[in-house]
Amino acid sequence: MFFIKAYPIFAREGFAMFLQTEWDPGAQKYGVLQALVGTMLTSVVAIALAMPMAIGVAVTINEVLPSRLRTIFGSLVDLTATMPTVLFGLWGFYVLGPFLQNAVNTLAGGAVMTSPSTLFTASVLLAIMVTPYAAAVIREGYALVPKAVEEAIYGVGATRLEAVLLKLRYVISYVLGGFFLALGRAMGETVAVAMVVGGNYAHLTTNLFQSGITISSLIALQFGNARFYTYAEPALFAAALLLAIFGIAINTAAIYLIQKWQP
Amino acid sequence: MTKLEAKNLQVSFGNVAVITGLNLSIPEGSITALMGPSGSGKSTLLRVFNRLIELYPEAHVGGYVYLDGQDIFEIDVIELRRRVQMIFQIPNPIPNLSIFENVALGLKLNRLAKNRKELYQRVKTALEKAQLWDEVKDRLNAPAGKLSGGQQQRLCVARSLAFEPEVLLADEPTANLDPENTAKIEALLLDLKKEMTIVLVTHFPQQAARISDYVAFLYKGQIVERGPTKDIFTKPRHELTEKYVTGRLY
Amino acid sequence: MTSTRKVLNWIGMGLFVLLGVAATIPLFLIIIDIYSKGIDAINRLGGLWHFLTSEPPSPLSKSGGVGPPLIGTLYMTALGAIGGFALGFPLGVYIGEMRREKLANAARVGVNVLVEFPTITIGLFVYAVMGLVQDDLNRYILGPVSATLKAALGNSVFYNYVSWFVGPLDSFNAYAGAAALALVMIPYVALITASAYASVAQPLREAAYGIGGREFNALFIVMRKVVSRAVLTAALIGTAKIAGETAPLLFTAFGNNYYAPFTGSTGAVSLWIYAASETPYNVQIMSAYGAAAVLLTIILILFISARIKAIHD
Repeated sequence: MFFIKAYPIFAREGFAMFLQTEWDPGAQKYGVLQALVGTMLTSVVAIALAMPMAIGVAVTINEVLPSRLRTIFGSLVDLTATMPTVLFGLWGFYVLGPFLQNAVNTLAGGAVMTSPSTLFTASVLLAIMVTPYAAAVIREGYALVPKAVEEAIYGVGATRLEAVLLKLRYVISYVLGGFFLALGRAMGETVAVAMVVGGNYAHLTTNLFQSGITISSLIALQFGNARFYTYAEPALFAAALLLAIFGIAINTAAIYLIQKWQP
Repeated sequence: MTKLEAKNLQVSFGNVAVITGLNLSIPEGSITALMGPSGSGKSTLLRVFNRLIELYPEAHVGGYVYLDGQDIFEIDVIELRRRVQMIFQIPNPIPNLSIFENVALGLKLNRLAKNRKELYQRVKTALEKAQLWDEVKDRLNAPAGKLSGGQQQRLCVARSLAFEPEVLLADEPTANLDPENTAKIEALLLDLKKEMTIVLVTHFPQQAARISDYVAFLYKGQIVERGPTKDIFTKPRHELTEKYVTGRLY
Repeated sequence: MTSTRKVLNWIGMGLFVLLGVAATIPLFLIIIDIYSKGIDAINRLGGLWHFLTSEPPSPLSKSGGVGPPLIGTLYMTALGAIGGFALGFPLGVYIGEMRREKLANAARVGVNVLVEFPTITIGLFVYAVMGLVQDDLNRYILGPVSATLKAALGNSVFYNYVSWFVGPLDSFNAYAGAAALALVMIPYVALITASAYASVAQPLREAAYGIGGREFNALFIVMRKVVSRAVLTAALIGTAKIAGETAPLLFTAFGNNYYAPFTGSTGAVSLWIYAASETPYNVQIMSAYGAAAVLLTIILILFISARIKAIHD
């Protein structure tokens, strides 16, 4: 379906559109490389921030909290996953972005981050948003560590921390599964990113602290406009096709890993 | 000499009392068999001795246990587990770690080996003592989960022996093994009692008769009778003990 | 144990807890931010009732609300949830109960992929389908149907509702939005239903088959006893998820600031927040925060009722 819709642009540009960096429908330029790079950058940074938090959530719930608090804390994390993304976007735009700009510029001692809405803002917001998804998978795995293995670990004189690390190693397939699922989420997230990424769809940037664009936010921001140009809509469908392929690939990898490496 | 001593020990899981005022002393350098019907608290008692009971949040422990006269609840728990090792009913190597790592893990964590050479040597010695070395020396890096059940159990013994423990707790170590592997483990335990004190939980009176020096008979969380193995089997003083050793009580 | 190990243990565990807690702090910050600014905004824009019923403010007006978007959200969410549940539940039962069948396994993998699918691509998909079928749908089905309905209803008060609810459809309409939301919800409900079924203990299952005799009966005995709670939770949380969705609605419902037929562009609270929040007009930004407070309340009610149910059982 997406391919049919995207066909006109492929016929015109070939796959070169994925290698061009300028998006300017008025000038018939439909490059999406800048968005591709933006998607990669934001999701990688987001995952790097989200994974430690997700593991922290799983460990806190399973190892530290008494059972009553466990339910409450777990509910809070689940609620974070249920929150509408547009609310994250709103908060990200008005609170998180300015805060990050302030913090980064203070730490760097100069105007490094020129706008509150940048690839970095999007990355941090994404990290917050995808943490519960990764945490859910890791929690599920963590709960599967058999009591016998736990006794073996403590029996050889492991401290709490050492036991935690050994257990995480035991359920490594779940940690990886959570990683991939969160990565998929981060790459596909649209509205919140569109609200805080800065919407710089015209030019390529690899500077995290500048305004940028991602594939999904390009689609969201440009679709309304696209009807007025012959090739803009096909180009956006081509971008969506790419996104869908990424999504399928990543999720398949995640499911495969979880099923294959079952402890 | 008494190695381990429990005084007025009580353990409950939630509202269920499992051990109710238990007194027991375990002599050094011997094999003491704990016998008793299912649910009498044998496994729980073992898990008190090395404080693995603390992994069960709903368990509550009262009373005293002394190791060489020292209250075990005042010994650092990791130190205690190093001195009091345990093997389990279902062999529980950490399946994703290699054979070598399983034995080396405790030594590494507790910094018990000064260098890699010493670590290797101690792992080797432990595996030799557990009579597993010849079978695994060519595949030390294979995952432990790949071993057969009997080999896994001996691997667990090796893992314990690597610590050179003072006490070895064995929780029905042969319950899931075939006769041939059972014989191997029993021979091993007999050999080991020269170096350490062994507490063996067993479901088979014959096993206690074969290898233990002393027998303690548990019933509903208390010691009903305790004495030299021979006495327990030939002239039990308590009716319950007699019923059990003659197979009329499970 | 050496003291370094003890210290490391404390630092390490402390770090895990810190990270875990850090993951939930933004939630509180967001809720506080939205309610503090949102409630203030609602008061300044004309009070709660006015806010819930009136049209969104234009850049120059002093008051306004989220009436049309709220109606749109409620209508599309209700339809989407019914559709998502009606298709997701049987699919989940199939996957959960017929675990040995090849087709069920394929369906499980498909559902697993779909549940993590970027929701914007789901919106685009519905948009593309809509573009394909719109003309034929209107010409052969909705046109005649609505003409017949109108003729039948004649002068009654319902006459006008036909073009409000039935059609013909524009390329953006509430049903496309609801369809996109249903597509978001189907795999979610299916997965939870499937895992609830899979977790039913085998003896209970056998008992159910034993009593019920026929497979179909057995399925429903099992369902009633064990699964209903999990599924109810899934339905509630799934509804909460789609009630706040924005991306799938962008190219399906499109958004609308006026009370308008569901057969054309339809507003949604989330779409209004998205559109209004980055305008340069203060009054619209305020209304975005007010709308956010309304949306958050809907989500919280759904989420908490699902949780209370789950905890009670």
